[in-house]
Amino acid sequence: MSMEKILDKARLNDWIAALAKGGDWEVHAPALEDGVWTYKPVGDAVRMDHPNTKQPPKGFSFPQREVFFSFEQIKGEAPRLTQVMPDPKRRAVFGVRPCDGRGAVRMDRVFADNVNDPYYQARRKNVAYVGLACNTPPAATCFCKSVGGSPVSTDGLDILLTDLGDRYHVAAVTETGKAMMAVAGSPLADAAAADRKQVKQVHGEAVAQPQRAVNNPEAAPAKLKASFNSPLWEELARACIGCGICTFLCPTCHCFDLNDEMTGTVPIKGNRVRTWDNCQFPDFTMHSSGHNPRENTAARLRQRVCHKFQYFHENFGMLQCTGCGRCVSECPVGIDIVAVVNKVAEHVA
Amino acid sequence: MSHNPPDNIYLPKLARIAHIKEEVAGERSIKTFRLEFVNGDGFDHQCGQCAMLSIFGRGESMISIASSPLIKEYKQFSIMRVGRVTSAFHDLSVGDTVGIRGPYGNSFPVDDWRGKNLIFIGGGCGLAPIWPVITTAVAQRANFKNITVFYGGRSPRDIMYRAELEKLRSSADVHLSVDKSEEGWNEFCGFVPSNVMDKAPPPDNAIAITCGPPIMIKFVLQNLQNLGFKDEQIYTTIENKMKCGIGKCGRCNVGKDYVCVKGPVYSWAQLKNLPQEY
Repeated sequence: MSMEKILDKARLNDWIAALAKGGDWEVHAPALEDGVWTYKPVGDAVRMDHPNTKQPPKGFSFPQREVFFSFEQIKGEAPRLTQVMPDPKRRAVFGVRPCDGRGAVRMDRVFADNVNDPYYQARRKNVAYVGLACNTPPAATCFCKSVGGSPVSTDGLDILLTDLGDRYHVAAVTETGKAMMAVAGSPLADAAAADRKQVKQVHGEAVAQPQRAVNNPEAAPAKLKASFNSPLWEELARACIGCGICTFLCPTCHCFDLNDEMTGTVPIKGNRVRTWDNCQFPDFTMHSSGHNPRENTAARLRQRVCHKFQYFHENFGMLQCTGCGRCVSECPVGIDIVAVVNKVAEHVA
Repeated sequence: MSHNPPDNIYLPKLARIAHIKEEVAGERSIKTFRLEFVNGDGFDHQCGQCAMLSIFGRGESMISIASSPLIKEYKQFSIMRVGRVTSAFHDLSVGDTVGIRGPYGNSFPVDDWRGKNLIFIGGGCGLAPIWPVITTAVAQRANFKNITVFYGGRSPRDIMYRAELEKLRSSADVHLSVDKSEEGWNEFCGFVPSNVMDKAPPPDNAIAITCGPPIMIKFVLQNLQNLGFKDEQIYTTIENKMKCGIGKCGRCNVGKDYVCVKGPVYSWAQLKNLPQEY
């Protein structure tokens, strides 16, 4: 039987303190900083009334920049390479919304399937996601339900919290989650029958909240495949300024760049650094010859949308988009992935 | 650290430049580098696979392995001076140490082609990716029927592997061409696809393998189809910009396929079903 507990909201900080002390967890939670919800190491008061964070929590396993190794080489001699592996600190991330938990599942598929990415893995195995169910009316840009998710989904989470007013219902999803709930000094109490009943009702109401939707998402991969040469893409992308904010804020975008950054020239010294990269930039695919397989914004918008709704589905059997709506709400020119997928589906036989 | 933990695929192995040969001079010059793994810490490869080469401080570049897998002592790479890393390669000397990781990608199904006629069609530096197949087939000459090699460059000075191609004439039919003829050039004058039409190799029991500039491949393909070659008989190898080599950095995809994993070798029967994003 799954582990269910109840946490008095006034004792949330006690649980976090117990996790830090008894479980050696560094706890992060959303904090409102200059009007932006951002994951921060917890301070005095943890509040979890955030709609969602500006950035998804993917940076906990895939940081914006990280050093892979450093090198030092005297010209004409063999270089000395020193691997830089991530700090093995365990990090518990509170307040992760279900769309972002499902984002983590997709990131894991990319980085942990087939050939293992050692840097991602080293971080990911030490990260626990303590999710928070969405039981207030969804944002105008939310569409998790139509892409296979739910405001109460536990996918990718270790624990799911549900706000029951003056207390949280706490449900373990993984063994890690169970251990966190049972940590020494935990103020969690057993859930009563009334609590279980209430959480069911709250979840039912959350799932029943209307959202905007990708129409007929099952057909999207085939429709997009058929749309590849459609002139519609040019029309859809005409407003795009190629800023790339859609992908930088996406919980499932995983593209990256690798560069050498020099810190000295004699001997040659520096670091090989991984940074986030972006399929909306022309340089991303441009060959040294100048030839570019995705040479215009139409091809690059098509790549983003087809990756989320076609290619990833063809490779992993699931849509890559989790419906968080960040790319919709943050796009400076109002390009809306839901509208794009729906319009393509309408226009393609 | 002189050797790599086996689980960190991003950490290159070290290789020493044992030999450098200038193939083509000029603005887009090509040099062939022979790399020997330091301390024997290397890897085997198959025909068509690539490796990520590093110059520390400049970065990495994905390059086709141009030597036959039968050669274990070294790996050879023919590199055109065109970008940041490839230009830095051209400034290196024998004895310099570089990084290498791989091998990446799929390979030409050479074993499936036993008993067949092999027709190679290369242009420019597109001879390098198919050179390991040519040299492997020649080394196992009895396994194959006719071996024919078409190769062309812009001018006689742009012909790479000149000496090797002359040597190849003893075991294969070699048809060279240049786009613009010059005094002293006795072979075909015109584009590579035209030379193929001119010699008209029959499609019976044959496999055609082509690599070169996209425009050349396009017309080679049309001409092969006109000669009666079926989609399953035509192979090519494609390149896209790459950073990771393991299907994660996201830039080399053609539709759902990351070329660094599912490619670079495709039959036309496979490639025609993918979007044209290469």
